[in-house]
Formats: sequence, C-alpha cells, structure tokens
Amino acid sequence: MALIELRGVTKSYQRDSNEIVVLDGVTISIAEGDFMALMGPSGSGKSTLLNLLAGIDRPTRGAITVAGTDISGLSERALAAWRARHIGFIFQLYNLIPVLTAFENVELPLLLTGLTKKQRRDHVLTALGIVGLSDREKHYPRQLSGGQEQRVAIARAIVTDPTLLLADEPTGDLDAKSAAEILTLLQRLNRDYKKTIVMVTHDPHAAERASHVVHLEKGTLAETVVNG
Amino acid sequence: MKYLALVLKSARRSKRRTALTIVSVALAVFLFATLRAVLDGFTAGAAASSSTRIITIRSTSLIFSMPTSHADAIRSVPGVRDLTWANWFGGIYKDQAHSFANFAIEPESYLRMYPEILLSADERSAFLADRTGCIIGESLARTNGWKVGDRVTLKVGIPTYGTRDYDFTIRGIYRSSSSAVDTQSMMFHWKYADERSLVKGQAGWFITRIASPDQEAQVAGAIDAKFANSPYETKTDTEKAFASSFISMFGNLNLLLGSIALAVVVATLFVAGNTMAMSVRERTTEIAVMRTLGFPGGTIFSLIAIEALLMSIVGGVVGVVLARIAINPRVLPSGGFIPEVSVDTQNIVVGLGLSAVIGAVSGLIPATLAARLKIVDALRRVA
Repeated sequence: MALIELRGVTKSYQRDSNEIVVLDGVTISIAEGDFMALMGPSGSGKSTLLNLLAGIDRPTRGAITVAGTDISGLSERALAAWRARHIGFIFQLYNLIPVLTAFENVELPLLLTGLTKKQRRDHVLTALGIVGLSDREKHYPRQLSGGQEQRVAIARAIVTDPTLLLADEPTGDLDAKSAAEILTLLQRLNRDYKKTIVMVTHDPHAAERASHVVHLEKGTLAETVVNG
Repeated sequence: MKYLALVLKSARRSKRRTALTIVSVALAVFLFATLRAVLDGFTAGAAASSSTRIITIRSTSLIFSMPTSHADAIRSVPGVRDLTWANWFGGIYKDQAHSFANFAIEPESYLRMYPEILLSADERSAFLADRTGCIIGESLARTNGWKVGDRVTLKVGIPTYGTRDYDFTIRGIYRSSSSAVDTQSMMFHWKYADERSLVKGQAGWFITRIASPDQEAQVAGAIDAKFANSPYETKTDTEKAFASSFISMFGNLNLLLGSIALAVVVATLFVAGNTMAMSVRERTTEIAVMRTLGFPGGTIFSLIAIEALLMSIVGGVVGVVLARIAINPRVLPSGGFIPEVSVDTQNIVVGLGLSAVIGAVSGLIPATLAARLKIVDALRRVA
C-alpha cells in the first residue's frame, strides 16, 4: 500500500508576467518502507518535489496524500502540526542551531510534543545513540565535524519517530568518507527501523544506496530505476 | 517554561549586542524615572500646599520687594487671621556649587504660620532669642555635617544686603511634616538682614492665613485692591499658585522634561527594534528550520517577542535600580532651589512598565516577520 500518493502535482511560479512551471503534472506513489532517491539536473524540480512532500510548500494544482491525509488542503497551522508529527527533514547544510548543544538541537522537535522532560531526555539519548553520538550530547555544532553535525541533524529528524524522512542532498557538503557513513546510516534507518526515506541527490553513488531512483527532467518524470 | 531556555540561549547569541541593548533601555528608564522624580518633586510641594494660606507678591514679579508697612494694611482686610513675611536672601556658602536656599523670615509669625516646620521647644526658643541665629533643614544639616551650635558664614549674594559677610549660629535643625516645606533650606531673622540692608523695611512676600479656603478669592481681591494704583501694586494668590509660579520660573518643566523623556524613549525604541530586527534577520535560516520542524508561526512570534520583552525588562530593572540608588536627597541634594527628589515606588512601576512597552513594541515587527516567514524562500536564500 502506498504511503505517499502524488496525483497530477503541478508547481509553478509567477515571475513578472511569465509563469515558470517547475513541476508539471507529476504522479508518483511511494510505498511504506521505501528508500527512494530523486535525481535530475539543476532546475528539474527535485527539491521542489521534496518541499511539497515536506509540507513546506504547496502545489499549484494536484493532490498530495501522505498516510491518508491530503496535505494540500491543510491550513498553515494544521500543516505545521502535521510536519511535527510526520516529517523528519535532513538538510544539505545540516542547519543545526549554533547556540544549542547537540542534545538541545535533537530535543527541539520534542518541545512541540506533550512529553515530560525525562521522556524527552530518553528520546534524545536514544536518537543520539542510533547515530552513534551518545558521547557528544554536550557539544555545540562548532565543536563537531561536518559528518558529526549531519548525524546530529539526522538524530533531530528521527527523534519524533516520523512517518517519513526527507533528505535534501544530505551528503552534498561532506567528504567521501563522511558521506559514505551518512548513507550507511540512512540505509540502516530504512532497513532496521523501517523508515520511509526520500532523498534528493546529484551523486549517482548516493543514489545507488536507495532501493529505487526516480529521475526528473524539466519538471516531469523521466524514468524510474530499481536498484538490485 | 520549556521554551525559556531557548529564549535565553537566543538572547546570549551575541552577548555584546544584548548587553548594549540592555544598557540603552536601562539608560532610557533611568532618565525617565529621574525626570519623573524631578517633576513629582516640583508638583508635590504645590500639591501639599495649604488652602488657608495665601501669598502676596509684587504684581510685577516675585523678585521685586515691597514695604513691610503693607502688613498693617493686609491685617485690616476682613477674613485675615494671621500674617508673616519673608525675603529671598540669596547668600552664598563658600561658592555657588555649595549654595543652598536661604531666607530671611519674621521668625515668630513665620513659625506660627508654618506648623509643618518641626523644632523642639528648646531649639525654637533658642532661635527666637538669638538675632544672628538660624534654623536649617535636616537634609541640609546632613549634607554639610552641621549640628546645633555650629557657625555658618554666608557671603552676600544680592547687593542690597551690603558687602560684609553674615555670620550665623545654628540654633535648630528642623524636620518637615509636609512636602510644602523642604528640609534643605536655611532660615534666619529678617531683622538681621534688614539692619544691614541698603533699602530698609522690605519684604519679598507676605503670607496670610485666612479663616476659610472659601474666602480665598474674596480676601485676595481685597488685599490687591488696597494697593491698586500705588507704586507697590500686589498680586495675591493661593500658596499652591505661588508654588506653581515659582516652578514656572524654571520654564515649562512639564513640556521640557516630558519632551526629553519622550525623545529618549523613542530613540531607545528604535535602538531596541533595530537590534531585534538584526538579530532575527541573522536567524532567518534557523527560523525556517524551526518552521520546517513544525513550530507554528504563533510560537515563533512568541519566542521572538518574549526575547525582546525579556531584554527590555532586564534593562528596565537595571535602570530603576540605578535611579533608586542615585536619585535620592542623601546622594543628590537639591540645595533647596528645587524640591527634594527621589524615585518612589510609582516611578519604579512606571519605569518597568515603560521598559515592557519598549520591549513589546520593538519585538512586534521582527516577531511578525519571523512568524510570517516563507520557509522555502528563507531556505533558498542561504542554500
């Protein structure tokens, strides 16, 4: 059964008097537990598609259904609550809050829940344990390497146990070794914790780690490749 | 409560900027509380004035004197119960910087007219018995470390009183039971000044006690009518009006001090607002990330607004504490030229309220912009 359904999703922007179409009638289904890589040249619409799935942007036309909820019809407030519950987002540049420790960065999404301080602590330590950074909880982002920062960002993304993990070029700012570690971690989250992951990448090696790769060209689906 | 740590961490992001904002708000609140205290000091004297005392001065100005022979004519007006007079002596102690207000008074009737001047029976009789004796207010005594029996010399400040210095013996230190009488002045026998004066028998103003406040207009009119078309025409008014006219010699204080306070507050508002706007702009990505994590716009608004409010209130607390310590008669004697000023509880409450208003207004626009931030645009800006 599909966890995510995109039906005829179009996204366009108005620039002066011209309408720029970024996504043009895209229809995709993503099954629960899938690990999908989105590839394509710059401007093909892959990041826009990811933003639509995350509920931080809205389609011009079409419907996006995630876990049975049509998110294109939700109000801003409802959409924020939906994101908090269902989405874990991993950014290319990690985007940790510099004045917060690793622990506090991971705890941030939990502040929106009704968990007690102790419950929050347990969740944070579990998430940091999964990404292998239990000993770095008191470190600030500036005291961590790029790879460690991205692992903290992944811990922040998984701490609420979201329905869907979205990663926007998660290895784009890392060296080869750190990138490989991050991809292994994502694979482990998919395999061991059954997390559904959609990852945007330019890197064919990164895409190979996914169970299948969707190629976008000029806002439309070009091809889908299933990795053996 | 769980967001408080987040707010505090954000405020400490740029310690220098936060400290400067706090200092600017503290300075504004300090100035505001001080200026209010000065205004309150001026108006307190007028507010505490007696409604059965009326004052007669020269119609031209308070600075011109008139003959003490006016006293008999004033006494003859129906409704007058008692009368005394006083002169502004203007004597200088050491130099202008150390000067204080000093008056030549008709002692017996003056002390009778002002029961607010509290002296022991011994001090009172010692003062009345000594032609070169004087009484000083307790604040003045404290400022100069004077005690009963000490000698004080004043240089002549107004040429009418001759050229030789005046020597006095302190015969009493008075307290005051009302804001109508300050405790930073010196009073001595009118006769002592008069006998050396180049123009004899002059009074600066007459103070008259009337039987009832209802008679004020009628008695005042009758007194002024007595001297109409004479070389020494008078103007008689209530003690409150006299106090107000004395204050008006300093200009329109309400407008002046009010304008300064308003300018300081508005300038601080811009400083605090600009600081918050800069702070929020630097955090555009972080706010976008928090919105992506699911923080609603309202929560983001609250976090920014509380941060601005907190910084401003801390500044306000610093400002009122400094004002409370610095502005009081012990630290800042007014010399009797202006009333005693101190920062009271009401001033503190208003000062803190003002800092809260500065915080709320300065945080409003940055908080609204942060709450309305378009996540995708904000993330794209830095990607």
